[in-house]
Amino acid sequence: MLKFIGKRLIQMTFLFFLFLSLVFFLLQAQPGDITAQFLDPTIPAENRAIIAERLGLDGSVWTQWWNYVTNFITGNLGVSFQQYPRSVIDVIAERIPRTLFLFTFATLFAYVLGFSLGKRLAWRRGGFSEHSVTISGVLLYTVFYPWFAIIMILIFSSGLGWFPINGFLTPELWRNAPFTGNEVFNQLLLSLGIAAVIFSGTMWFARRQDERSTARLVRWVGYGSALGLFVLFWLTKAEMRPFALNIVHHAILPIVTLSLIAFAGTMLLTRGAMLETLKEDYILTAQAKGVPEKDIRDKHAARNALLPVVTSFVLGLAFIIGGGVVTETVFSWPGMGSLLLTATVAEDVPVATGALAFIGILALLAHLLVDILYAVLDPRIRIQDAS
Amino acid sequence: MVIKEPDSVDVLSPEDPDALVHAEEELGESLWKVRLRLAWKAFKKNWALFMENKIGLLGLVIIVLFGLLALAYPVLRAVGPWQDDGIYDPVIGYDAPVQEFQIVATEAEVTDPTTQKDANTAQLWCFGAVPGDVCEIPLQPAPPSQGHILGTDPLGRDVATQLSFSTRSAFMLGLIAAVVTVGVATVVGSISAFYGGWVDNSLMRLADLVLLLPLIPILIVLSGLWAINLPLLGVLIGILSGFGGTAIVLKSQALSIKVKPFIDAARVSGGSNTHLILKHIIPNVLPLSFLFMMFTVTEAVSLEATLSFFGLLNVDMSWGIMLNTAQSQGYLRTGFEFWWLLIPAGLAVTLLAAGFFFVGRAMDEVINPRLRAR
Amino acid sequence: MTGTQMRPAERNLGSGDTHPQAPILEVKNLVLNYEVKEGMVSAVEDVSFALPKGRSLGLVGESGCGKTSVALTLMRLTANNARVLGGEVILDGVNLLELDKEQMRLRRWADISMVFQGAMNSWNPVYTVGVQIREAMDIHWDPKPSASEARAKTEELFNLVGIDPEMIDRYPHEFSGGMKQRAVIAMALSCDPKVIIADEPTTALDVIVQEQILEELKKIQRDLGMSIVYISHDIAVIAEITDLMGVMYAGKLVEFGPTADIFARPRHPYTWLILSSTPSITGPRRQLAPLEGEPPNLLDPPTGCRFHPRCPFVIEICRTDEPTLTEIEPGHTIACWNYTQVPVTLSRGDE
Repeated sequence: MLKFIGKRLIQMTFLFFLFLSLVFFLLQAQPGDITAQFLDPTIPAENRAIIAERLGLDGSVWTQWWNYVTNFITGNLGVSFQQYPRSVIDVIAERIPRTLFLFTFATLFAYVLGFSLGKRLAWRRGGFSEHSVTISGVLLYTVFYPWFAIIMILIFSSGLGWFPINGFLTPELWRNAPFTGNEVFNQLLLSLGIAAVIFSGTMWFARRQDERSTARLVRWVGYGSALGLFVLFWLTKAEMRPFALNIVHHAILPIVTLSLIAFAGTMLLTRGAMLETLKEDYILTAQAKGVPEKDIRDKHAARNALLPVVTSFVLGLAFIIGGGVVTETVFSWPGMGSLLLTATVAEDVPVATGALAFIGILALLAHLLVDILYAVLDPRIRIQDAS
Repeated sequence: MVIKEPDSVDVLSPEDPDALVHAEEELGESLWKVRLRLAWKAFKKNWALFMENKIGLLGLVIIVLFGLLALAYPVLRAVGPWQDDGIYDPVIGYDAPVQEFQIVATEAEVTDPTTQKDANTAQLWCFGAVPGDVCEIPLQPAPPSQGHILGTDPLGRDVATQLSFSTRSAFMLGLIAAVVTVGVATVVGSISAFYGGWVDNSLMRLADLVLLLPLIPILIVLSGLWAINLPLLGVLIGILSGFGGTAIVLKSQALSIKVKPFIDAARVSGGSNTHLILKHIIPNVLPLSFLFMMFTVTEAVSLEATLSFFGLLNVDMSWGIMLNTAQSQGYLRTGFEFWWLLIPAGLAVTLLAAGFFFVGRAMDEVINPRLRAR
Repeated sequence: MTGTQMRPAERNLGSGDTHPQAPILEVKNLVLNYEVKEGMVSAVEDVSFALPKGRSLGLVGESGCGKTSVALTLMRLTANNARVLGGEVILDGVNLLELDKEQMRLRRWADISMVFQGAMNSWNPVYTVGVQIREAMDIHWDPKPSASEARAKTEELFNLVGIDPEMIDRYPHEFSGGMKQRAVIAMALSCDPKVIIADEPTTALDVIVQEQILEELKKIQRDLGMSIVYISHDIAVIAEITDLMGVMYAGKLVEFGPTADIFARPRHPYTWLILSSTPSITGPRRQLAPLEGEPPNLLDPPTGCRFHPRCPFVIEICRTDEPTLTEIEPGHTIACWNYTQVPVTLSRGDE
């Protein structure tokens, strides 16, 4: 297992450098010269050369590339033009947790919803329900996202007034707040992180229990303690609570929107994978054993159909990241995606490319996570690698 | 994109050109006739399968309807009611239908804001209007009327012409992207499968990378660095999506053909590598390529609309631009009051993308028998 | 298996042993069709047989002759487009075809279990073999076994079929083909069923492993007094392990009787032909008779006897009237109009 992860890590690092070089050469290939773009065209050539030297633009392409890569590793991504003199890494560091928050929840919801609908679709093949769910699924999959997000806002925010129209927090509420948005948000992430670790830990422990009743008990202890600790955490932070709630309130609609456009892909894939799994001999064996229909569907067919669905996460990943960029922009959620877009529009090249590079890192890390998950789910890979 | 790696795909095209040569000798018929007849037979069989698929049929109907919408533009501009360039040009046309207002003294007296205005506000349009006058105020965006069946946009342009005009460019973009995707993917996949070794390895690592990368952020940054127009966008999308998942799937298809006996036969009888790839591998990979063309169109249409919506493309008019105009003028956040600015363009993008996706899915079920009903 | 052993194994159930014994499983006049786009495929037509308790019965025939359809009907696991148009499947006094879905589900494995063909794919790859055996016990044992009880039973079964009990916690892909099939047999025994159906239990295994598995099954039948129905296209397998056998052709049972009797003197032309077309190592040298032609299209089966287009002894009545199963010796029935013409010896040209 460790060897497997190690191998994957090396591959990912390699892919990352490839990607970083790609970003660099994109920058190089742009028409004109950065100095020409931002400097007064009338300054004398020798002055221009000095500035170019100071900006590291004097060497050959390869030295510039080398500088770019080494600078990137040391966290030096330059300075933002737009938010001068903030460093790019500082701007990005503020945005990353917000994007991760949106992304993690949306992905989770999308996969859970898509998987459970997809397996039901395959199980009850044919008929009106299959057609209507498939058609609405595809429509959600191909829907013009910015448009869909706007309609969601029109219905649920301006229309029904359930959620704020956009943004990360309500400025009026925070005017005299004793905390900054980031502080509260970090606490929120911390509490969620603790709950998640406890939850997955107990689930893992429950899987290793032989006796059914013990496993069930452990599982319930897991649910209880994760939830309990989360509640306890926020009980002790009474004055921060309304502010945290305000952020969560802002996050709900973007998360729901992103989940809705992302779930259909998983649903269609699960359906295809399930249809194939259902033809396998072990399904017939399970039927012959008298396994109840629901268990055949969930424990035998869906459990195997999960494998190709997890693999295809790589494809879904690019899709959901793209959707995330759009969602963040339309909802003015200040994450990496909206940073990328505003920086691009403002021609803030260091921030734009930095954001692109970090989105790439995010995609690669998610890919790695999926690889590990796949190894956990498929004993054939797990064992093969251990031996 | 939903991509499944086919382990073995039942390609319903004439598989073995050498067999055709024998057929030619035996029947005394020319090769292209035999080929055509076989292709026609395969097409008929696949068409019957396709027609059984209701969702695919729905997709086809959607595409045909959009085709008619695209045709409507040149026809109606030439001979129909949209002949007046000054009014009906989708980009530079201008027509603001007027609304009659009765002028009343103060704001408090306005009982019906759609037909009455107070004298003070009315000064903005009708200089010198006094209470009791009837004043005509240009209305833009104007709701649907006889002259403008889908109303006008905030700049007084006809929404229906814009919609129809943009359909044409959406098809064009989709076609360019699809052809480039399939071209790139077929070539990369065939070469990778055929040569194997380091060629295969490096091409596939590159494909992995491209597959991992989210297209939207990359295209956003690219469009910030260059002025991208529609054909260029089509080529970019084609290259990026052709190099990624499509190439990987087509490669596995090419691999399954590479091990077929007729390849060995052709090699033994002295076929060069280029000949083998061109004559044997590529024709057999093509049917699967058509499938990916459909998915690429879906992707291209959505991407173009998204980028245009953010105002990043160098495009005069498109569905995305229509929404961008409405959005930047603030007509989209107020509710469904200006629905003709919101619904037609957004629905067009969604439906056209869905239409191609439906057709792609149905083709997938035709080509991959394992997905068919049990 | 083909070609290694042609004679039925010597055992106490000789050809004369036909004393009546209450059947544990009885199939009466079973008719099964498959609905396809082009019409109805007559897959099983009027098949009847009975399996006495503690005995083994084999159904043999070409692929597509309906033997697997019979096996799946016994379990009520036929495909969605299968229609059982008539007949009864009586297991220990209960007609399985009349049970509702839920009742049938609870009887599967508890009363009648199955060893499938293609052991490779009978195991779900993501669970350990032990978990999958325990699943069956959890459903059918009353009360449910505790973890230690389930483990003890599985270990006992693994010892019985000759697998190291350490393998319980291993995944299917860590088993060899033969071991997987042994484990399938262990699973089939896990709920002490009254009848086991073994559908091509040794196909896809190499010859030596086949032999071991067959020995294992024979031992289980003998030691546990198990009643087993074997389904196979390999007549040598049937010869080796069954007490009774039925020969199926194109959805019909054409010959049924004690295995030893049928091998000693096949009465139906089809049986005679398939035995004649199988070489024997231990028997006398003889010319092999070919079986010509193709099995009929069951969408539109031939009139009269379904075998008549391929039958070397065909007479006029065969083309028009369907022969019924007639007892020609005690316990030995055939469906043929002209069986008296079938030679006593196997081949046409003895040397």
